[in-house]
Amino acid sequence: MIRNLYILYGVIVLGTLGMAEYRGWSLDSVDEVKNVPRSVRDNPGSYRSVYGYYHHYTGGK
Amino acid sequence: MSTSGPNPPGPPQVRSLNCPGCGAVLTLRSLSQAVTVVCDHCHSILDAQDPRLTILQKFKAAVDEDPPLIPLGTRGKIRGTDYEAVGFQRRTIHVDGVPYSWHEYVLFNPYKGFRYLTEYNGHWNDTSILRSLPTLNNDVSPATVSYLGETYRHFQTAKAGTSFVLGEFPWQVRVGESSDLSDYVSPPRVISSERTGKEVTWSMGEYISGHDIWKTFGLQGEPPERIGVYENQPSPLSADTNAIWVAFGGFMLVLVVMMILFWSFARSEQVVEGNYAFNTNERGEASFVTDVFQLKGHTSDLELKTTADVNNNWIYLNYALINQDTSQAYDFGREVSYYSGYDEDGSWSEGSRADSVVIPSVPPGNYYLRVEPESDFGHGTISYSISASRDVPQASFLGIALLALLIPAGLITWRSMNFEHLRWAESDYGSTGSDDDDSEDAGRPMSLGNLSGKRDDS
Repeated sequence: MIRNLYILYGVIVLGTLGMAEYRGWSLDSVDEVKNVPRSVRDNPGSYRSVYGYYHHYTGGK
Repeated sequence: MSTSGPNPPGPPQVRSLNCPGCGAVLTLRSLSQAVTVVCDHCHSILDAQDPRLTILQKFKAAVDEDPPLIPLGTRGKIRGTDYEAVGFQRRTIHVDGVPYSWHEYVLFNPYKGFRYLTEYNGHWNDTSILRSLPTLNNDVSPATVSYLGETYRHFQTAKAGTSFVLGEFPWQVRVGESSDLSDYVSPPRVISSERTGKEVTWSMGEYISGHDIWKTFGLQGEPPERIGVYENQPSPLSADTNAIWVAFGGFMLVLVVMMILFWSFARSEQVVEGNYAFNTNERGEASFVTDVFQLKGHTSDLELKTTADVNNNWIYLNYALINQDTSQAYDFGREVSYYSGYDEDGSWSEGSRADSVVIPSVPPGNYYLRVEPESDFGHGTISYSISASRDVPQASFLGIALLALLIPAGLITWRSMNFEHLRWAESDYGSTGSDDDDSEDAGRPMSLGNLSGKRDDS
C-alpha cells in the first residue's frame, strides 16, 4: 500500500520535474507588467521599473 | 485465521458435574480430555480424570476477579476449524518488583484437540504446540532457533507464574506454579519454550488482530486497544521499506536519464550579450534598451547573467524584458555588490561580482531589454556585462526532485527502524532507557505472551 503510494508520488514528482524543465519554471520571481508603453523602445526613460530607487544595502563588515 | 472451513461444528457436547468443594454445578466441555477443571465459585482446582473430582488445590480469588474477554463456552472458527473456549489463565512475571500479567485462553475441538490464544495489552497470538523440535543455536548472540527453514531470534527469558485460572485444562494446572519461558521471534511468529523441571514444551504463536478474534467469536463491542509494539507484531512498514528503496533506485535512474535528456536537448541559446559602463559621476537618464532579439521554440525560461566590476561598491540594475509585439514586460531588479577588507580576524569578503536570474516561462516572440543602472553618486565608472540565454536547464529542480523522493523514503525507513527499536527495547537486549516511554511500549514482559504449563495431550 505504502509502496504503491510512494511509486505514485514519485511518478508525480518526476512528471512535475519534466514539466518544470520543459516549460522553464523558475524559483526566481519577476513581476509581469502588461501594456508597457510602446514609446519605451525610443525613450527608455518613459518607463520606470517597480523595483527602482529602493534603499540599497551599502554595508560590508 | 479464517472464518470459513471444511469442519462444520457439531452440537456442543458438555457434561455437568458438581463441585465437591461447594456443590456448584460444573460444566465439562472437553470431556475426557480435560485433566483439571476449576470451580469458578469456590476456586477449587479439581482432578477431571477422577470420577470423584478430587480437589487438587484451592486458591483465593475475588468473584469476577479477572473475567475472560472471551467467555468460556464461546465458539469460533480458527483456520477453518471450530473451537470452543474452555479454559482461561492469567500468568504473571515480576520485573524490578513490578508485576506484569497476560491472559491465555484454552480452546478445544473434539477432533483437533487443543490450541490457545494469548492476549497482552491488546496483542493476540494464535498458539499451538509444536509437533517436532526446533533446532537451538546458542553459538550466536542472540541465540536462535530454526524451525521449518525459518530462523527465530531469542527475545526474552523470564520466570512466569500462574496467578489465576478458570475452566478446563489439558494439564495439571496449579495457581502459583512457575516455569522458565524463552521466546524466539520472527514476526509475525514466535516460538516459545517452557521449562518446568526437566520437561520442555515448545509452542508456536502467530500474531492475529483482536478484530479477527472478535469477529470469529462473535463478541460484542470492540477488542482492547493495542498498546505499544509487541514482540512478534508484524511491522506495518518493514515489507514496504525494501520495495520503497528499490523504487527510489528506479526513480534515480529515471532522474539521471531525464537530466541527460534535458541537458542534451535544451537550446541554451545565447540571445543577448553586451558590455556596458555606468558613470556614477554623471546625473541624468541612465536607462537604455538593447537591440530586439528573438526567442524561439516553445515557452521556456530565459537566464540572465550580470557581472560587474564592483569593489566595496554596488550597482543595481532595473531590468524589464519587454515583448515588442504584445507590450508585456517581465520586470525585475538585480543587485551586484562586493565588499572586502581586513580586520582583527583577518581578511573578509561578502557579496559577489556576478548574479544570475531565471525568468520563468517566457513565450516565444521578439523581445528587448530595458536596463536602468543605479549606484551611489560619485564612485566613478562601473563596468558591467549582461548576457541572456534561452531554454537553460535548471539543476535546482533536479536537486528538489531528489530531495522530494529521498525524504519520504527516509521517513518510512526511520519509522520502520523506530518500530523495530520499540520492539527490541523490551527484550533482553533492549536499552533500559525505553522505560521512560511508557506510552509507546507494550510493557516490560511483552515477550511472554505464549502458553505455559500446557502439555501436548492431543
